[in-house]
Amino acid sequence: MQAKTNALSQGFIRCDDCGFLVKTGNHSLSCPRCNSHLHARHPHSLQRTSALLFSSFLLYIPANIFPIMTVNQFGAGDPHTIAGGIVELIDSGMIPIGLLVLVASILVPSSKLIGIGLLLLCTHFRWQINARRWTVMYRIIAFVGRWSMLDIFMISILVDLVNFGEVQIIAGPAATAFAAVVILTMFAAENFDPRLLWDNQKNL
Amino acid sequence: MNDFIEPPYEATDTAVNKNRELPLIWLLPICALLVSAWLIYKTVSEKGPEITISFLSADGLEIDKTKIKYLDVEIGKVSDIVINKDLKTISVTAQMDKESRVYLTNNTQFWVVKPQIGLAGVSGLGTLMSGAYIAIKPEEGEKERHFKGLNKPPVLETNAQGKKFILETTNLGSMGPGTQINFHGIAVGQVLEYALAKDADNIKLTVFVNAPYDQFIRTNTRFWIDSGIDLSAGADGFKLRTGPLAALLGGGIAFRASSDDKTADIAPENTPFQLFDDYDQSTQVIYQRTVKVVMYFSESVRGLTVGAPVLLRGIPVGRVTDINLEIDGKTAEILIPVVVEVEPDRIIVMNKQANMTVKDNIVHLIEKGLRAQLQTGSLLTGQLFVALDIFPQSKVEFHQNDTGYQEFPTTPNSMSHIVDSAQAIMDKISKLPLEAMTTEINKTLASLQSTSKAATKTLVTADGTLGSADKTLQSADKAMNSAQKVLTTLEPGSTTQYELNQLLQELTQTASSVRQLTDYLEEHPDSLIRGKKEK
Repeated sequence: MQAKTNALSQGFIRCDDCGFLVKTGNHSLSCPRCNSHLHARHPHSLQRTSALLFSSFLLYIPANIFPIMTVNQFGAGDPHTIAGGIVELIDSGMIPIGLLVLVASILVPSSKLIGIGLLLLCTHFRWQINARRWTVMYRIIAFVGRWSMLDIFMISILVDLVNFGEVQIIAGPAATAFAAVVILTMFAAENFDPRLLWDNQKNL
Repeated sequence: MNDFIEPPYEATDTAVNKNRELPLIWLLPICALLVSAWLIYKTVSEKGPEITISFLSADGLEIDKTKIKYLDVEIGKVSDIVINKDLKTISVTAQMDKESRVYLTNNTQFWVVKPQIGLAGVSGLGTLMSGAYIAIKPEEGEKERHFKGLNKPPVLETNAQGKKFILETTNLGSMGPGTQINFHGIAVGQVLEYALAKDADNIKLTVFVNAPYDQFIRTNTRFWIDSGIDLSAGADGFKLRTGPLAALLGGGIAFRASSDDKTADIAPENTPFQLFDDYDQSTQVIYQRTVKVVMYFSESVRGLTVGAPVLLRGIPVGRVTDINLEIDGKTAEILIPVVVEVEPDRIIVMNKQANMTVKDNIVHLIEKGLRAQLQTGSLLTGQLFVALDIFPQSKVEFHQNDTGYQEFPTTPNSMSHIVDSAQAIMDKISKLPLEAMTTEINKTLASLQSTSKAATKTLVTADGTLGSADKTLQSADKAMNSAQKVLTTLEPGSTTQYELNQLLQELTQTASSVRQLTDYLEEHPDSLIRGKKEK
């Protein structure tokens, strides 16, 4: 493959808003056609992504060690952490639901964190990788982001629905942290520019 | 291929640049770090001490479910249960609240609360729903983190206000820890524990009376076993006392204050009291000073029991404490020595003689003719009691006495006197020659028949004599006239006639009341014994 595999290497910057191609030699940083700011790549993509990733990682700790919800039965509270809830679900025979929760609230967020972390490391250290595969990974991460809000939705629905007399469900501090993790990882994925994966590849 | 190393845009435009132009975004991880750190710090700082409690079994205990509560406030939670190395006990690890640090001392007690159905009610019913919990009774002491759990709740589950007292009884019966103590029917306390006294002659019950009722336990307070039904038959019919239902089933103790006591007489903690077997016993005055005497009876003492009263002219002065049987090896005479406990303080002595002891007094009374006698207390039950009275005619007989008590002379029962004399009469009747008498009577009747025949003959001859009766009639006429005069005195309105009338009326009234009595007796023959029923 030649080096002229993208717009930038051929001396062009594509306007994100109107698709206008601008010569890089031109140092005005706005698009002559639509006057929007021009960036060859997402500005500060790595910094933003890594900051967001770091925050979500920090919040991921309390999200897993604190109770995500408390089931109040006959006045006796029974707080559950995410892992504890899964174990309880599987113990009580609700294996599919248990697995669903396991996937949605542990596997997905943690693999997202690891995945974005890998993407960042890869771009930062200019690893020579199969950029196509990594892009697929990026797409999966970006797509899956919103779906790990599943159990947050579940809790919020339960809190409203299950409120008859003796049984109450109260969201715990971990629910907030977990929601924050999901949102932050979504932003992190959003801020990551997959083109950076391709920029450093010498073997294209 | 090597143009990657120095592409023209590399330094300016690609995002892979190292200059920090956007430090604001880094506030986010700092915030996240602060939030997480604060959350973690908060939980760690709120985390109290971790303790272990050993129990005999983990029945009802669940990891992460079982709570540790004091006064129904949750102060901890079971985090782990393991079997100890001795394979006999289990060890519960519990995560306590921070505040509980203060009262986890070497005197603190733990026990498992489960639903219990007792006679005094149901306790711990809430644990049916919430599962068992571990209760704690905090005490002051030295810091301790490893505890030995109790197998049953401690005698006092909370640090309630009140006093402990000791009750002494000879029979535990159905009483035990938890037995209610009633004061005028209010449950004011309970039995905590019981223990056999060192000399094993009585049982000491430790009881707890809650404030403010503990102030009614004073010097003369009486405790008695209020075990439900108390049926007693007396001369005035049957008496039935019942206690509260719980006491009916599980036994109970009641006490009452005495009006003689002032507030100054409030008993201090751990004062011993006697526990009477029933209400009646508790009402009797206890006399500390008793004199034991022995009485030898020769007649049957069937119906005399230990505890039977000794009455001096109907007033109780003591009771029977012992009944034995003696046979004289030499004379083969059967004697029954009855030991009697007399309380001389019951008798108020007038003109006290300074140098007279109780024994001297007894001797003095015996000289005056005071004797003991067995009398029937109740014809229904045939119970006997010892009656003391003055029988000046009776002789004093003393027997060989090995009991060590002073002997008190006895006299046979008047009833047995009557029986003896009736026996003598019956003997005389049975000795009468009845058969000879009937033949004599037959002969007499035959001679009477011949006599009547002779009488008819006499009547025939009397016919002749009737003629001479005319004269007699005339003289009778005169007699009638004089009788007329007499009758005028009996005219209506005359006093004699009035009195006769009165007499007749009284007689008819008497007759009717006798008829009523017989009718009533026919309907209620039992009234002869019990008296007339109150309508």
